[in-house]
Amino acid sequence: MLHKLVDLITSLKLTIFCLAAAMALIFAGTLAQVHLGIQEAQQRYFQSMFVWWPPEGRGLKIPIFPSGHLIGAVLLINLIAAHIKRFRFTWRKLGIHLTHAGLIIMLAGGLFTDLFAVESNMRLANGDTKNYSEDMRATELAVIDTSGDNLDQVTAIPGSALRRNRVIDHWSLPFRIVVRNFYQNSRLKMLSQAGESAQSIANQGPGAMIAVEPAARATAPDERDVPSAAIEILPKEGGSLGTWLVSDALGAPQTFACGGRTWMITLRPSRYYKSYSVTLQKFTHEKYAGTEIPKNFSSKVTLIDPERSVNRDVLIYMNHPLRYRGETFYQAGFQPDDSATFLQVVHNPSFIAPYVACLIVAAGLLVQFGFHLVGFSRQRQRAIA
Amino acid sequence: MKVRAFFKSAKSGGQLVICSALIAALLVSCEKNSEIKVYRVSKAPLEESAPQQQDAMPTNTAAPRMPSGLPPAAETAVTTPPNWEPQPLSQMRQASFLVKGDNGAVADISFVSLGSAAGNVLENVNRWLGQLGQPPITEQKLGEIAQSLHTSLGDVTIIDLAGLPDNADPARDGRIIAAMVTTTNSTLFFKMRGNADLTEAQKGDFIKWVAAVCNAQTQAGPRQMAAAAPQTSVPQIKWKTPEGWTEMPSTSMRYASFSTPTDDGGKIDISVVTFLGDGGSDADNINRWRGQIGLAPINASAVTSQVAPLKTDDTTFSTTDIAGDKKRTIAAWTRRDGRVWFFKATGPNAAVEKEKPNFVKFIESVQF
Repeated sequence: MLHKLVDLITSLKLTIFCLAAAMALIFAGTLAQVHLGIQEAQQRYFQSMFVWWPPEGRGLKIPIFPSGHLIGAVLLINLIAAHIKRFRFTWRKLGIHLTHAGLIIMLAGGLFTDLFAVESNMRLANGDTKNYSEDMRATELAVIDTSGDNLDQVTAIPGSALRRNRVIDHWSLPFRIVVRNFYQNSRLKMLSQAGESAQSIANQGPGAMIAVEPAARATAPDERDVPSAAIEILPKEGGSLGTWLVSDALGAPQTFACGGRTWMITLRPSRYYKSYSVTLQKFTHEKYAGTEIPKNFSSKVTLIDPERSVNRDVLIYMNHPLRYRGETFYQAGFQPDDSATFLQVVHNPSFIAPYVACLIVAAGLLVQFGFHLVGFSRQRQRAIA
Repeated sequence: MKVRAFFKSAKSGGQLVICSALIAALLVSCEKNSEIKVYRVSKAPLEESAPQQQDAMPTNTAAPRMPSGLPPAAETAVTTPPNWEPQPLSQMRQASFLVKGDNGAVADISFVSLGSAAGNVLENVNRWLGQLGQPPITEQKLGEIAQSLHTSLGDVTIIDLAGLPDNADPARDGRIIAAMVTTTNSTLFFKMRGNADLTEAQKGDFIKWVAAVCNAQTQAGPRQMAAAAPQTSVPQIKWKTPEGWTEMPSTSMRYASFSTPTDDGGKIDISVVTFLGDGGSDADNINRWRGQIGLAPINASAVTSQVAPLKTDDTTFSTTDIAGDKKRTIAAWTRRDGRVWFFKATGPNAAVEKEKPNFVKFIESVQF
């Protein structure tokens, strides 16, 4: 049995099957982007174990095809296992070994990037200082205890938890949160403008004057979902503090008191706080004379890190990111009136893997073809002689 | 080769493969960002920033936006009558004042900015009438009572409503004078609610203030209004640092920070913190400090007995001295120019007792 399993996992047929499946998956996933948008298609086709059917709705779901994570993992195991099983070191095969090692590093690096890399954005207007970046594709319900003297305690509940759980009971909160409604994408309207049949889903705060309409998921690259939810706050000692509308479209947090402390709630893009801050000193947007074609855009920022006594100015521009504390700040965009810059903030512990992999593969191919070239030349010389 | 021999052994090889598969499956099955996280962040200043514009990170909604902790533009940019006392700002209010009259009469004045879809005039007027216990009115009636004020931001609608809800205190309620104007991006609400006579007396100042705020907004522009970080508006104060105190790096929260070692190897932490507004009631602050050193809260009258004035050349501070089982906090605070300043030292009981004279000298040396 184990022999058969080892044979299966190390077989070349499995490699071919995985590669063929990956090709089919990439084809289907690329087509799916038309209707689903890049993010959703990536999620369903590449960042999961299986492609499921039906894709929406609750109830029975059937896996219909292996997805990116599964194919990648099997391919990686297959490559490593086959290599170990058939490994026989000879100098003549050094190039092949190196090439395979490079491929293994590339596959493993891709998997680790997918699992552990975090991409977020930092929007800075001139003079703004921020010590956090935001993931515009992910949502969190931030429940903030503002009673501390110097610090706010934030309980960040991810949007996925709001979707999954009807009741959220956490040790850090003296109340339970009951999710009455959750909309992945929505439009908010004042009740007066939403028609006579419209009703508010909340009875507390400004949400009581607002109607929420569900909307189809945003698929265009320049659009994003506006998640909204109606949540009821139930103190653990009993009673109810009413139902509140939380939405990414409501700019300000809402405040209530519970357990002798003052709380703020807000549904916002997921935040990643840093131990340092970034201040935008100046955003520069140069255009080619007489045209609107961008020539260069750059952000001069001040990086302040009290822990490491760092206080320095940095110029971030195309292909010259700021790398600091494992994070890379790229110049990603700007506001149309040039009043703000957008920096993409990438935390990728395995960012070096593709570079190393490419170098090793290149070295392997060079060695392998070098051997063949030398052998061929010698044969030719002998033939001439 | 040893590796190959090891792998050729079906049992070891099988275990290795199964382990690899399990590890890979675990890795790929863990979902990112699925856990509830709890963390602490420093309060306000770094959080303040200009509101995002819809066209910058496009959304697909025309949703109302509310101010996200904007600085009190209306309070700082425009001169207000001296009898208007600045009040702590809430999440909704960009400016807040309290006016006091005779016989306990008060009026509350506020400035709130909402999204451009924040309702029409009639709906808001009927909401205010409801707050005064009055029936709603029609569009025609609204046309009769509404007045218009021309500003550079546009025509501001001014409404004067009277009525006393059931069980309301006539010293604090009875009239609402409100103004609202809708621009392309926002709807600005100005409201004065309080005692009818006092409100009438303040009406002239209120309308002047409304006009000044609207005009100031067009001059400054909404971005400048929003981007004026509070850090830049914090006034500079001076003091004499006592010997033995080491200045620590100030943080986004702390205006200044000091540390002084104690005999037992510990330290006393001394902080200078300032906020806009009044920083909450003395009772709330003292009870919060009591909680930090493990003491139960006390009622407001007991708080009063624990607060002593400390007069300096420059101002008068309120001070308190709270001793817990192990820790002790001494604090001094003063409110001036719409801002509160807290000076606080916390450390082991005996060490704070020893350092108290230095702390008092430090407070006496503060110059605003």
